[in-house]
Amino acid sequence: MQAELLRVEHVTKSFGHIEALNNVSLSIKEGEIVGLVGSNGAGKTTLLRLLAGVYKPSTGAVVLSDGSKVEDARHRLGVVPESTGLYSRLTAWENIRYHSRLYGIPDKEAWARTRFFAQRLDMEESLGRHTKGFSRGMRQKTALLRALAHAPDILLLDEPTAGLDVTSARTVRSLVHQLGQTGGTVVYSTHQLAEAEAVCSRIIIIHNGEVRADGTPEGLLEQTSTANLEEAYVSLTTDKARTRMTSEKPLSKIAGWWQKLFTPKMPGGDESE
Amino acid sequence: MSNSFRRITTISKKELVEFARDWRTIFALLIIPLLMFPLLFIIFPLLLASEAAELDAIQVQVVVQSNDFPSNLSEELNGSGINLVYEPLSFEGNLSSPIGEEERLRNGNVDAILRMRSNGTVWDYALLHMSTSERSQEARTRTLTVLFEWEENETERRLVVAGLDPDDTLHPLNWDGPISNSDVATSGEQAGMMLSLFIPLVLSVWTFSSAIQPSIDMTAGERERGTLEALLGLPCSRNELLFGKWLAVATITGIGVMLQLIGLLFAIGYLATSDFLTIPTLSVPSIVFIGIAILLFAIMVVAFELALAMRAHSVKEAGSILGPALLLILFPALFTQVINLDGIETFWFSIPVVNVLLALRELLMDRFVVEHILTWIVSSGFYAIVAALYAARQFKREDIVTSLS
Repeated sequence: MQAELLRVEHVTKSFGHIEALNNVSLSIKEGEIVGLVGSNGAGKTTLLRLLAGVYKPSTGAVVLSDGSKVEDARHRLGVVPESTGLYSRLTAWENIRYHSRLYGIPDKEAWARTRFFAQRLDMEESLGRHTKGFSRGMRQKTALLRALAHAPDILLLDEPTAGLDVTSARTVRSLVHQLGQTGGTVVYSTHQLAEAEAVCSRIIIIHNGEVRADGTPEGLLEQTSTANLEEAYVSLTTDKARTRMTSEKPLSKIAGWWQKLFTPKMPGGDESE
Repeated sequence: MSNSFRRITTISKKELVEFARDWRTIFALLIIPLLMFPLLFIIFPLLLASEAAELDAIQVQVVVQSNDFPSNLSEELNGSGINLVYEPLSFEGNLSSPIGEEERLRNGNVDAILRMRSNGTVWDYALLHMSTSERSQEARTRTLTVLFEWEENETERRLVVAGLDPDDTLHPLNWDGPISNSDVATSGEQAGMMLSLFIPLVLSVWTFSSAIQPSIDMTAGERERGTLEALLGLPCSRNELLFGKWLAVATITGIGVMLQLIGLLFAIGYLATSDFLTIPTLSVPSIVFIGIAILLFAIMVVAFELALAMRAHSVKEAGSILGPALLLILFPALFTQVINLDGIETFWFSIPVVNVLLALRELLMDRFVVEHILTWIVSSGFYAIVAALYAARQFKREDIVTSLS
């Protein structure tokens, strides 16, 4: 039986009056490749940031198997945010080394791991280049190498193939697959069901900040009595997206009024509200 | 070396490497301050001197309107680079009235018009010119110089004719010996006094303005480029992040200020060969306290700027906040220049910004008032801590992870 690595316990996350996640509970086990699937604004990124310890839950907790809070055990995580977060005036290796030094990893060790994975991602030749001229695919691969350089227990990937060409997306998926086969644990956020089905051993469907389904692709089909994952997804997320509530402060009211002054009216009718 | 210190220096080093790789910011924040004062104090006077020499070489056209113009005055004017054209004086009214003469003065046909009329013992005169024309101004200056000399000679001649000694009559009060000998302040102290009127202003404004760009780049810039989210997921605390960035901005600002001072000292050293300005005499404690004052000021300013920039979602937004914030330094800095330091009340040394500027003024004049020093050190330390706490609070905000991109 797989050992539990990380547990999300009844987590709710609110920003002002906006509730991004509502009473989410799940656990991540060693060796799993977990796909977080949901539409834009469903709460995937918020959940990933909670898992990464960047956000603190409003209620509930995110804890590791040893009981430590995730924000105190960030050295065990590797994170690739959607924006990749590379410094353009540094080389790919300098970007990787910067993070690995902050993880407390000796340069030699980080370099060995980086070279190992760079060969698989066909990035070895580019490690000494400044990232300024990098394509989206190269940036994503560099961010992946950076997240792997300190040998994390769990890899958190936020839409790692978004905006990539077919070949680059395939290379990234292949690496994630290899990591899974070698016992690595990956949480993989995507809004593409086919990708989740191809890469992940377990899929969590998030909608309106709630976990709607959690299981293997086959399990989801069985649960929803549908023929394919797309139909399963639709049947689980038929309710409309919630209207987001905003907390209007006096200053934001003034800012909104000012912005409205310079917003052109829609042709042939009233302003769209 | 503790892990925390290692992380802070890692963050700081990376920021400095990134900064050093951008030649535009190097030029703006390091080269310009180094060259600013030498350019201002050396090149600018040279430029002015060459312009003046060029102006000296030109011949100006002056029309003399008079019916009885003294011949000896004509000779003196002719020998001063002035081409004279004589016209009879038909004007009856006030000689200063330019009516009828505006056109030729405006179109540059003549540079000045000298009108003179004698009533027997006194000469009435007026000099018409156009103050916005350099040639006309030059013609006026040359003509007036000759006129005043002629007047002096004429006065002396009349006194002699009247049987009086011109020197005794015109100068009944006489300063004995060189005036400069009578000042007990040394030339170094005088230089300190003169420099205290603008060095604090320049230092404070430069410290604030040179920290703007790196502060924005390391906070709002990171946020806008999406690099901050990856950084926040690392096992370093927000305080370590703040201190690392603070150290980098403070280093850049400190180097900028140091280079500016080097440029200033070089320029003063150059000027020291002239009588205009000498190197100020500063005691070692003065230099040490100047360093402490600048350091405390830099801690406060950099922390404050990092905090404000971190609140912004984008570089543009941060720029629109920090640009006007410069006024918070500029107004007190200008105000401080006019405060009289003799008998100044101690409370002035507890007002933010004003305290450090007044301290710098006193120290540049090599004045030590223990009460003042204690007040500005304690108050500056307090403001630096408050600014650092405010910055730490901004860095702990959860929304800094979100970016516009």
